[in-house]
Amino acid sequence: MAEAPHHVIIGNSIAGIEAAITLRRRDRAAKITLISWEHAHPFARVSLMYMFCGQLSLKDTQFYPEDLYDRMRFARVLDRVTGVDPVARSVTLLSGAAIRYDTLLLAVGSTARRLPWPGAYDEPHFLHHFVTLPDLRALDAAAKKGMSVAVIGGGLIGVEAAEVLHLRGLKTHFLIREPSYFPVALDVAESEVVARHIRSHGVDCRTDNPVDGFLRRGGRIVLRGSDEIEVDLVVGAIGVVPATGFLAGSGIALNAETGGVETGDNLESTSAPGVFAAGDCAQVTWPDGSRRPEQIWYTSRDQGRAAAAAMVGDDVKYRRGTWYNSAKFFNVEYTTAGYIPPALPGPASAGQPPGEGWQTWYQQVPGRAETQRIVSRGGIVKGFNALGRRWDHQVWMRWVQERRPLQWVLEHMKEAGFDEEFTEPFRVLPTATLTEGA
Amino acid sequence: MQEGLLSTYHEPLRNRNLTAWACSAILVAFYVDLYFFDHLEPVARALHLPSKWTLYGLLYTIAMCVGGYFMLQKHGNSRYHTLRTASLIAVQSLLGFLLPLALDFTGRPAYYFSYFFPLKYDILFPGTLKDMPVAVALWFIFGSFVGVPLLVYFKGKRAYCSWICGCGGLAETFGDPWRHLSSRSDRAWRVEQASVHTVLALVFVMFGLVVGDAYAADGSALREVAEHTRSFYSFAVGAVFSGVIGVGLYPLMGTRVWCRFGCPMAALLGLVQKFGRFRISVKKDMCISCGNCSTYCEMGIDVRAYAMANLPIKRASCVGCGMCAHVCPRGVLRLETRADPGPQGSIDVWTVDL
Ligand SMILES: Cc1cc2nc3c(=O)[nH]c(=O)nc-3n(C[C@H](O)[C@H](O)[C@H](O)COP(=O)(O)OP(=O)(O)OC[C@H]3O[C@@H](n4cnc5c(N)ncnc54)[C@H](O)[C@@H]3O)c2cc1C
Ligand code: SF4
Repeated sequence: MAEAPHHVIIGNSIAGIEAAITLRRRDRAAKITLISWEHAHPFARVSLMYMFCGQLSLKDTQFYPEDLYDRMRFARVLDRVTGVDPVARSVTLLSGAAIRYDTLLLAVGSTARRLPWPGAYDEPHFLHHFVTLPDLRALDAAAKKGMSVAVIGGGLIGVEAAEVLHLRGLKTHFLIREPSYFPVALDVAESEVVARHIRSHGVDCRTDNPVDGFLRRGGRIVLRGSDEIEVDLVVGAIGVVPATGFLAGSGIALNAETGGVETGDNLESTSAPGVFAAGDCAQVTWPDGSRRPEQIWYTSRDQGRAAAAAMVGDDVKYRRGTWYNSAKFFNVEYTTAGYIPPALPGPASAGQPPGEGWQTWYQQVPGRAETQRIVSRGGIVKGFNALGRRWDHQVWMRWVQERRPLQWVLEHMKEAGFDEEFTEPFRVLPTATLTEGA
Repeated sequence: MQEGLLSTYHEPLRNRNLTAWACSAILVAFYVDLYFFDHLEPVARALHLPSKWTLYGLLYTIAMCVGGYFMLQKHGNSRYHTLRTASLIAVQSLLGFLLPLALDFTGRPAYYFSYFFPLKYDILFPGTLKDMPVAVALWFIFGSFVGVPLLVYFKGKRAYCSWICGCGGLAETFGDPWRHLSSRSDRAWRVEQASVHTVLALVFVMFGLVVGDAYAADGSALREVAEHTRSFYSFAVGAVFSGVIGVGLYPLMGTRVWCRFGCPMAALLGLVQKFGRFRISVKKDMCISCGNCSTYCEMGIDVRAYAMANLPIKRASCVGCGMCAHVCPRGVLRLETRADPGPQGSIDVWTVDL
């Protein structure tokens, strides 16, 4: 009998562990090893903010029982991989040991994008990020009530960091380069609703505020940009990049621009057979045809499962389904599904459908951080964006697939509601607007 | 963010350390004194209250009001929780305190109209029923066997356990700071199953004996057995379990210690709930595994495991407090009582569906 194959997975976060579970379901005999430097048990990275403010413990964020490894017979290695040799099929660890594999999954996720400020990383103690457990521990040790902190970058991690730093009693400046908050997903009006909400909590949220460096004045840091701001700490939240640095020169092709692992449809490396990638570190095809990593939890899970199926020889074609996502900006919940551009498309351009025939239905509930935006084309609904209420994105996605007309959708909107009982019901307001695209 | 939950793990009182142990010790001492000694009688008399039990009712109501105030400070940005808390406090103050007090002052027996069999195990004893006005007797019989079960069938166990019941009321208000301490372990679940169903069996055995005794011939051997069982139950379950342990251990084992491990009513209504309409539905593929729901479940249910598996939560033990849905940052969960069954399936939460 042939020896059982050895599947090695680098990374034991959502992509890695889901792949491992899938592999075990498919093959009871295979040897499965998970390598990770960060923590011995998968935890919800999305809960960094809750750990930071004492709402959850690290244990609370571990989403599988502690005995999972024993029951599933996973071997685990708590160490950092420093190199991969896809020809010899082996990985090298920081400790110097090497591990041979038959198939390898790269599920190494991301690290924070570094701030491009000259000299910033030579000065310890003031510059922080909010992506890994060591990031969290460092910030936790540094952040003291009464200090002032600048969070740089107007995305999802930025807003979470700003919120919890503020809740921990730091004077928080939330500095956003773009003219509006989170412009890839929110249109100008929605973004304004969110920014107002953030400010109402007492956070100094400034849009149109690029920072291009810093200088030291006394013990403090002065940010140089459109405004000079004096702070004790800085949290860089200008995005994440695939944690693939250790693969440079290994023969595993990385995208020059994003650093993501170049993969085929089955998530196998385009240059190194037997090496697969899943989660934040993999280049995948987006619905618009572009290729870049998809840095979200749900798709990391799906990719982990798909890559595992490919590793045991299934004919896999990873395709992301209809787009959906959710987030929370301080107390305001956000749900989106379908095709929902931040602004109606203009005249036809590369990768963009022409704007003609597109419509936006929008309403904002007075006095509350609540909005709904529905984009349609030729009267047929294509996508939804909503703040301040709970919605079942699955119902929205079904309506998009069923090509429901806008009028019908507005009449049935309540059926997609997912609020707690006794919440004030959704209503179409007389102030709702309908805007035509160009 | 749920601002109210901020610092849960930073507050000594809430984290099983010395402060929490001291607090638990004080509660235990209070209950031991209440049930087994009479030091509180003079205090009650000094306050012109009929007995130490009235004094206890007063303290209980105050604890619920104060706890309820803080609970709403924390979670009050939700009508569901505001109404639920208001209902609990109203039921306790009116039916659990003022009305019995008024009855007592007018020289009538003090009935607690919000407690039913088998929680209030002696209310349907033939000897008790005999002395009741017919309407009152009907209220308790109908409530115990028809009213509450029907309510639970249509609206879930929460209708009783999280909107009406005084024990649940204390847990939801005064006990709220400790809800994250309820163990989610496999072992806790097995202990819970064994203990809560043992109490349920015990209450029926005891009740059967007492009823049998009422119809037995004088001098029958049943009398002694019934009497022993009744007094054992009233000591072990009525005093020690529901009071001393059930509330005394809040700061160490989470709220709802009694409801989870001891209450025969909860066990019985749980069976009704299993067949009823209530469930917590899950928004498909939207869970980010953050852990808030499971952490803040006072019954130790691993809600997240269901949410990650896209399965509705239909558990006998769920008291429907609704906190999982409330604290979920992605709005994944919703308490639901619609007639259509929704997606079906069950998972063995502790084995991750191998
Ligand atoms: C603060 C924050 C909030 C977020 N919120 C959301 C959200 O609300 N919704 C959402 O969809 N997504 C969110 N995300 C994104 C989401 O967390 C990621 O998409 C997801 O964690 C990616 O999973 P992954 O398995 O690909 O890798 P990661 O979670 O990044 O894990 C990487 C794993 O690889 C290991 N590893 C990396 N390099 C090496 C090496 N050289 N050697 C050994 N081991 C290595 C690490 O130890 C770790 O186990 C958030 C991210 C952050 C940081
Ligand atoms: S259901 Fe909600 S609260 Fe529970 S783990 Fe998932 S996202 Fe978190």
